[in-house]
Amino acid sequence: MKRIYYLVRKEFRQILREPAYIGILFIMPVVQIILLGYAITTDVKNIKVGIVDLDQSPMSERLVEAYTRNNSFIYYGSTDDERVLIRWLDDGRISLGMVIPLHFQRDLINGRQPDVQMVLDGVDGNSAGVVAAYAAQVTVALQKEWLPKVPPLQKKAAALHITTIEPRMWYNPDLKSVNNIVPGIIATLLTMVTLLVTAMSIVREKELGTLEQLMVTPLRKGELMIGKIIPFEIAGFLLVNVSILAAGWIFGIWIVGSVWTLYLMSLIFSLSTLGVGILTSTMARTQQQAMFIAWFFMVFSLLLSGFFIPIKNMPDIIQGLTYLNPMRYFMVVIREIYLKGTPLEFLWKEGVAMLTFGVASFVLATVRFSKRIG
Amino acid sequence: MNEFAVSVKDLTRTFGDFTAVDHISFNVARGEIFGFLGANGAGKTTTIRMLCGLLMPSSGMARVAGLDVYSAYEQIKQRIGYMSQKFSLYEDLTVRENIEFYGGIYGLNRRQIRQKTAELVQYLGLEKQVDQLTRSLPLGWKQRMALSAAILHDPDIIFLDEPTSGVDPVSRRNFWLLIYELADRGKTIFVTTHYMDEAEYCHRLSIMKDGRIVELDEPRRLKERYGRETMQEVFMEIVNRKGEQ
Ligand SMILES: Nc1ncnc2c1ncn2[C@@H]1O[C@H](COP(=O)(O)OP(=O)(O)OP(=O)(O)O)[C@@H](O)[C@H]1O
Ligand SMILES: [Mg+2]
Repeated sequence: MKRIYYLVRKEFRQILREPAYIGILFIMPVVQIILLGYAITTDVKNIKVGIVDLDQSPMSERLVEAYTRNNSFIYYGSTDDERVLIRWLDDGRISLGMVIPLHFQRDLINGRQPDVQMVLDGVDGNSAGVVAAYAAQVTVALQKEWLPKVPPLQKKAAALHITTIEPRMWYNPDLKSVNNIVPGIIATLLTMVTLLVTAMSIVREKELGTLEQLMVTPLRKGELMIGKIIPFEIAGFLLVNVSILAAGWIFGIWIVGSVWTLYLMSLIFSLSTLGVGILTSTMARTQQQAMFIAWFFMVFSLLLSGFFIPIKNMPDIIQGLTYLNPMRYFMVVIREIYLKGTPLEFLWKEGVAMLTFGVASFVLATVRFSKRIG
Repeated sequence: MNEFAVSVKDLTRTFGDFTAVDHISFNVARGEIFGFLGANGAGKTTTIRMLCGLLMPSSGMARVAGLDVYSAYEQIKQRIGYMSQKFSLYEDLTVRENIEFYGGIYGLNRRQIRQKTAELVQYLGLEKQVDQLTRSLPLGWKQRMALSAAILHDPDIIFLDEPTSGVDPVSRRNFWLLIYELADRGKTIFVTTHYMDEAEYCHRLSIMKDGRIVELDEPRRLKERYGRETMQEVFMEIVNRKGEQ
């Protein structure tokens, strides 16, 4: 036990003296959150809208007004010719064209679900998707307002229609995709510190020859492992908190759910990443190799986590593969806690899955570490 | 207990189909300074690593402090000090922090650590540098410090793998004074070197070539037998002669 204390103490001294670690811990979260956060938000601000209103009814005018009022959209102009609208779109003068059909008001009141057509500038598929989602959100909000006007008999149909539009958006009422990005960044950074930095720190001692020196002392391999894990677990914990604060101060996005649940889940998740980090250190001889192997793991777990690409959009086989990726569960958990405030009792399945992978990778790492290191 | 500090018979280590150490046998008496010579790649480091419990032998017998290297390597670690070929203090820690760390790892308590630190610092004349990063020390001092750190737990047998490579002549002499002091206190020293003047300081020498021990005797007797004035000449003759086979 005392030996572990001396190891941890030494490790902290080294971390605090290494500018690179300080950068990773305190500067990287802020920079990543700013970069990714703004990169996304600028995409969905100031969307120029052109409108063709064929109905010219109070309700259709209300719809147009709703768009012009919304902060995400800028009203560009109206025309009664759809071809003009398309030309605006082609010229890049607008990013969203909306066509309100004839009898819009009448159909709506009769519960016949009029079809408002959205024409998108689809050059950038990603931001087009975001624009469509935002537009849908405005429409949904409006339909809620109109619902009381629908006669009781038709209410059911109208209500059904509303719920079919992008249900995911309910958890994201400000419509800021940065809300989804911040939890993703926290997961990524946590992985980075517990996986990459842990591996690097062990392999660095291999390169310097201090590891060999440690191996001739009475220090047990298990103690060495724990002595390496504790500092980076604490560092990872600090980093989670720095990210939470950075996201709050910069974007005003604060965690909705319990921060303790988030801590617990982060701890469970980092078991698996620490395990993989230690495995990496047993495979690499040089820090470069360690970096390479760690990146390999990280890129795969990121790609298959649903952070960039929604898992729903992946081919079936790949979707199946994602179940083997602990980060997949963590991404779900952290989004749920962060955006919806989902309590622990609804997240235990993900917790158990992560714990299983954590224990497995840990056992594997311990076995390999005691055989290979030194 | 065994009368020898180190006792080796037919010790062999292979890496794939390459034999790095090939059936070597020797005994080292307690309190002896035992020199291990050989060209690069002769197998010196591999031998030391097997004796320190860092590497499993492929075959043969080896006992260190009477303990079997195959089964009792954890106990062996308590009885030996090892200074590896690479420098092995933490350069980003201060002198004091390094001593504290290794002391802690060897199970010394706080008071013992403080005492050891004071002793060592005074002995090595590092009073001014004790709170400087180890990185900033001259190599000669670093090596003496590394040795001191490696023997904080007062082991009986000390393995030194090229402890003075790259060190200036004055510092090398100081290092050897330290070795002599340890030997006077009854420690067994097992040292590898490429410097022939250092070889002269050893009680006995073994000369390794391609994984085998080709000579093993006192420096004086080796010089007599080969009819040479210096170990340098003896070494050159041995290496060249056997190389022609
Ligand atoms: N882990 C290993 N895997 C494969 N070959 C190895 C390994 N360790 C050592 N060798 C080989 O064994 C041979 C002996 O190496 P060793 O390090 O014992 O030599 P040495 O006498 O200490 O040389 P030097 O004077 O350069 O330190 C070398 O040819 C080396 O390449
Ligand atoms: Mg060597």
